[in-house]
Amino acid sequence: MTEMFSTLFGQNEAQGPPGSSSLGFGPGKPPPPLPQNQASMTGQMPPQLGDEGPALRKPGAMNEPFYLLRELPVGNELTGNTNLITHYNLEHAYNKFCGKKVKEKLSNFLPELPGMIDCPGAQEGSSLRSLIDKPPVCGNSFSPLTGALLTGFRLHTGPLPEQYRLMHIQPPKKKSKHKHKHHRQQDPLPQETVNTTAVGLAQSCLNKHVNSVLLLSVSLQNRHSPDHPGLAGSQPNSNSLR
Amino acid sequence: MAEKFDNLEEHLEKFIENIRQLGIIVSDFQPSSQAGLNQKLNLMISGLQDIEKCRQQLHEINVPLEVFEYIDQGRNPQLYTKECLERALARNEQVKGKIDTMTKFKSLLVSELGKVFPEEMV
Repeated sequence: MTEMFSTLFGQNEAQGPPGSSSLGFGPGKPPPPLPQNQASMTGQMPPQLGDEGPALRKPGAMNEPFYLLRELPVGNELTGNTNLITHYNLEHAYNKFCGKKVKEKLSNFLPELPGMIDCPGAQEGSSLRSLIDKPPVCGNSFSPLTGALLTGFRLHTGPLPEQYRLMHIQPPKKKSKHKHKHHRQQDPLPQETVNTTAVGLAQSCLNKHVNSVLLLSVSLQNRHSPDHPGLAGSQPNSNSLR
Repeated sequence: MAEKFDNLEEHLEKFIENIRQLGIIVSDFQPSSQAGLNQKLNLMISGLQDIEKCRQQLHEINVPLEVFEYIDQGRNPQLYTKECLERALARNEQVKGKIDTMTKFKSLLVSELGKVFPEEMV
């Protein structure tokens, strides 16, 4: 892939884009100026062929270099004739992303993030799309929990119910630095509702804010590409999220 | 610009670690863990406050919506960047091909016009 644009653009670097004003036509014979007496008689006399034909042209058409060929639009210096990746200094980014293989999974992008992040977010109701469609209520201040509020988080002893234990389980990795493996429970025991509420709170916070981490980590990646103008100005689609 | 990203990254890492430890505590809760649980909960709230403060520095950052779809599917968002660059290069080559074709056509047209209308083309 890296050879493609060097061979494609390397040969034609010396050739500049054709000027918009240069049509390859010589000045040629300028059309004869329209005499006053003949102009007044244009409506009366029938159109004549031959050398008198150009004399009946409208004044606006006198500027045309060739009959029925209008003036060309103003040319742009930056066209597809130039290698835009080189022009915008994206060679390093191109070699980085396209020169070597980029791993498919999200866990390869964020290897230290806990939980099962390779699963589609829609399955667990924690997708980023849901954050856009239903943005959470913002603007409220965060205040610490007082003693009275903390009474709601008095949990009962014992391990979690079966359906909540999978939160800590991750796919087996060769060099796992996480400490989740020894927390897998063997004996399921019934739990009180208060315990489940705390687990649900922790799980929902982890899922929703992991999405925020992923979103902001994408922005962090741009930091590592030198001279990268940023995603906002270089994308073909105009949709963006502020 | 890198500093505000570093600051946010640090807060997010601490927040995620705190949440993870919170999950470990509740996975097998003991009465002696109640004080630690309360501390972790308040630490979570202070973490949210810190992240909220970082928000003001990053209000001009734009992220394409297509990246969200990659993340929701569990795919590496770098694949989006890769595909964008590949599409840009392919489009660049396509347009360059059109320009080259039109240039050749123009030169051909001029030469043929010169044969048919030698006086006008001088």
